[in-house]
Amino acid sequence: MTGTSHTENQSSDKSLGPQAEFVTEKMAEVRREISKAIVGQRGVVDGVLMALLAGGHVLLEGAPGLGKTMLVRTLAQAVSLKYSRIQFTPDLMPADVIGTAVVQENGDGRKSLGFQPGPIFANLLLADEINRATPKTQSALLEAMQEKQVTVAHTSHQLDEPFFVMATQNPLEMEGTYPLPEAQLDRFLFKLRVPFPGRENLHDILDRTTQGSPERVLPVVNGPQILEMRQVVRAVPVAPHVQEYVVNLVLATHPENRENALANKYIRYGSSPRGAQTLILGGKVRALLDGRYNVSLEDIRALLLPALRHRIILNFEAQADGRTTDDLLDEIAGKIS
Amino acid sequence: MALRKKMRSVALGMASEPTFFSALRTRWTAISTFSSPAANLHASSLKRDLGKDDCAAELHPLIDALLVTRRRIMATNFLSGWMMWCSCILATLIFIAAVSTRLAGAVILSGVLAAVGTAALAVLTWRGRPSIYDTACRLDSASTLHDRLSTALFFGTIEKPEGMLELQRRDASQQLAQINPRGLFPIRVPANAIGRTVVLFLAVAGLFVYRTHYRPPLVALMQTAARSQLVQSVLSPLVSAVEKDLQRTMALATSQPDTSANDVRPDDAKPLGDDLWQSNDEKDANPEDTQQNSQDATIADQQPQQPNPDGQAKPKEGESQQQADGQQQSQAEGKKSSQSKENSDQSSGDGNQSQSQSLMQALKNLLSNSASQQSNNQANQPPPDGQGMSQSGNSHQPGTSEGDKKGDSRGSSDGQQKASKNSSSGAGSQQGNKDLRKDQSAQTVNAVPDRVALESNGFKEQVRVRVDTGTGTAQLPVREISPTATAVVNGAEQENIPARYRLYVQHYFEHGDNNVQK
Repeated sequence: MTGTSHTENQSSDKSLGPQAEFVTEKMAEVRREISKAIVGQRGVVDGVLMALLAGGHVLLEGAPGLGKTMLVRTLAQAVSLKYSRIQFTPDLMPADVIGTAVVQENGDGRKSLGFQPGPIFANLLLADEINRATPKTQSALLEAMQEKQVTVAHTSHQLDEPFFVMATQNPLEMEGTYPLPEAQLDRFLFKLRVPFPGRENLHDILDRTTQGSPERVLPVVNGPQILEMRQVVRAVPVAPHVQEYVVNLVLATHPENRENALANKYIRYGSSPRGAQTLILGGKVRALLDGRYNVSLEDIRALLLPALRHRIILNFEAQADGRTTDDLLDEIAGKIS
Repeated sequence: MALRKKMRSVALGMASEPTFFSALRTRWTAISTFSSPAANLHASSLKRDLGKDDCAAELHPLIDALLVTRRRIMATNFLSGWMMWCSCILATLIFIAAVSTRLAGAVILSGVLAAVGTAALAVLTWRGRPSIYDTACRLDSASTLHDRLSTALFFGTIEKPEGMLELQRRDASQQLAQINPRGLFPIRVPANAIGRTVVLFLAVAGLFVYRTHYRPPLVALMQTAARSQLVQSVLSPLVSAVEKDLQRTMALATSQPDTSANDVRPDDAKPLGDDLWQSNDEKDANPEDTQQNSQDATIADQQPQQPNPDGQAKPKEGESQQQADGQQQSQAEGKKSSQSKENSDQSSGDGNQSQSQSLMQALKNLLSNSASQQSNNQANQPPPDGQGMSQSGNSHQPGTSEGDKKGDSRGSSDGQQKASKNSSSGAGSQQGNKDLRKDQSAQTVNAVPDRVALESNGFKEQVRVRVDTGTGTAQLPVREISPTATAVVNGAEQENIPARYRLYVQHYFEHGDNNVQK
C-alpha cells in the first residue's frame, strides 16, 4: 500500500517541520508583495504560486489587458529570480528561443563554434502569446519544460533551477494562431483562466495606475529558498482516501471505462497520469498555503479545473452540444464525491 | 447503465445469457449494499478499522471521540430503520383492520414482526457499522477539519513521528479539542419519519376502536358499492351476457335428451330464449321460490293484464304469420342443434345442466335481491301525485333501468304504452300477453334495451333502396310516398299512434298501389 511507503518516507523527514511553517510564512509574504501590483486575481496568483512551489509551469489564458504580463513580472520581482520574456510570433524560430551555436573567436585568434544561450536560460520565462508561434517553435519548449535542459548541436545544456515557464494565450483572437498540441499542453501544471476584474477591483486598478507612482515590489524569497520549499511541499502527507479520490477522478475522465457515461459521451481522450500528479502536488502546496499539513478532499476539488481542464480532449458531440471541459469536470466530480 | 446495455445486447442476440446474469448480479450487489457504485469508489480505503492498540498514545483521545461518533451514527441509523419498519407494520395493520374480521392474530403477528425486525435491524446496523477510519472521515466532513483527523489516524501507527507528520498530528489533536462530536452527530430520527409513524399509529388506533363496534370498513364499503345503482348499471350488461351464454348452454343441455329419441317436438324447436324464459316463468310460478322472485313474477304478470284500450295485445295477421315463420325457423335451428348434440356425452350434459341452472338461478337471485332493495328504497318515498298502481308496478320491475325511469316520469298511460313498446321491441312485431311477459322478464336481465330495428313490416313488395348508415340499415320505399317516421319506424314513436290511424296507415301501404293506379 502506498500509505506504508509514504509513512517510511515521512519518518525520515526530521527537519521539515519548521520549514513547513517557513513556507507558509514566506508564501504569505510573496502574496502580499504581488498584491501591491496586481489587484484582485487571488485565484490566479495562488495558482501561480502553487505551480512555482510544485515545480510546474502555468498557462495563463485571458483577454488582453488583464495583467497577465504584469503578474509574471511582479512575481519575478517578488521572488528575485532571473526573468526573461519571449514574444511569440509566427516567424519566431526555435533557435531564437533556446539559443544557437555561433562562431566565436578566442583570445589567440582561433575561431570555434560556441553556444549562444537563448532567452530560455532564465529562472522565470514569460512566453507571451505562445499560440502565435509555429508548432516547430512551440515544440522547442518541450524539452526545456520537462527535462529542464536544451539540446543544441548534440550538446545538452542544463537550465538553471528553478525554471518556471509562464505562457499566455489570448482566447479571442484565434486567427493566425497555432493551438498548442496536446503534448505541449500536458507539460503545463495548471491552465489558469484570468477573469475580468470586478467593479471594486477595477476602481482599485484605476486608482493605482493613474495616480502617483506604483509601489515597488520587494524581493521576499530567492531561488534556493524556492527549491527548499519544493522539498517541503513533497513531504506533506496525503491520506489514502484522498489519493484514491484523485485516482478515481482521473479514471473517470477516460471514456474507455464503460462506467463513465459522461466521459463516454463527450470525452475523446482523458487525463494523463500527469493530471493525478498535478492534483496531489497542487493539493500539497495548497494545504501548506492554507496552514495545514495534510491534503484534504477540498484541496483536490479546488484544483480540479486548473489541473485537468487542459488535459481533456472533447469529442465532436461535446462541441456540438456546447459542453466545455469545466462543465464536464464539475459533473464528474459531483458524481464521484 | 451497464445493465441496460447488456440487456439491450442480449435482446439483440449480441451477448450471451451469462453476461446478462452477471450484470444482474452486479446490479443486485450494488442495490443490496445500499450504495451507488460512485459512492463505493473509495470505499476500500475507508474499511480500515483501527483501535487504541494500533495507534499511538497521542491519538487515544481521537479514538475515543471516533468511537463516540460511531455509536451515535449507528444509533441514528438504527432508529431510522426502526421507524421505517414500524411504519410498514402499522400500514399492514391498517390494511388488515380494514379488510379482515380477525384482529387478534394480526396484532400478535405484528408484535412478533416488530420484535424480529428490531433484532434484525440491530444485527444489520452492527454489521454495517462504519469503520473507525470512515468515522474519522465523517467527523472531518462534519466539522470542516479538512481531513486532518483521518490523515492523523492513518499515520497514527507511527509511535514517534517527526517532521511534517508530527506537525500534522499535533495540528489534528489541537483541532479535535475544539470540536464536539456529540453536537455534530446527534441521535435523532428524521422529523418526517416521526410524523409518518405517529399518523399511522393514530390511524391504527382509530381503526381498532372503530372495529370494536363495526364490521371491516373496506368490506362494508365494497358491499355497499356492489349494491349501488351505478355499479348495477355497469355490471348488468356483463351479467346479461353471461346469462345469455348460460341460457344457450342450458338450452343445448336440455335439448339433449329429446334428440336422443330423434324426435323434435314443437316446444323444443322454439328459440332458445323463448324456451328459457318459459322455464323462467315456470320458476317464477313455483311457490318454492323466494319471496322476491314471486313478487317479481306477480308484478310481471300484472302488467300484461292491465286494460289495453288499443287492443294491441292481440296478434295481427301478418305478425302471427311472421311468428309462425319464426317458429318454423327455430324448429329448424333446434333440429340442427339437437343433431349436433347427439354425439355429446349425455351424463356430462346433465351435470352441466344442473350446474348452469344453479349458477343462473344464483345470478338471478342476486340481481333480484339488489333490485328489490332498490325498489323498496324507492317505494318508501312518497309517490308523486297522479301515479297509480300500474306505474308503481312498472317502476318496481326488477332489473329494469331505462324503462323504469320512463315509467316513473310518465303516468299510467305511459306505462301501458311502455308495455306495448316492450312487446314490440326487437323484431318489430306485436305479440300477445305471453310474449309481452317474456319481454318484460327479459328486461329484468337486460338493463340496456335492444336496438330498435328500422324496418317496417307489412309492406308489399316494393322497389327499395338500401340506405346504409353507420348505426344501422333502413329500407325506404322509392316512391313519392313519404311516410313519417312514426309510420315507418316501428320504434318508440309508433306507440303513440292510436289504433285507428295505425290501421289506416297499414291499409294505405297495403293498398297504396291500387290507389295510385286509380
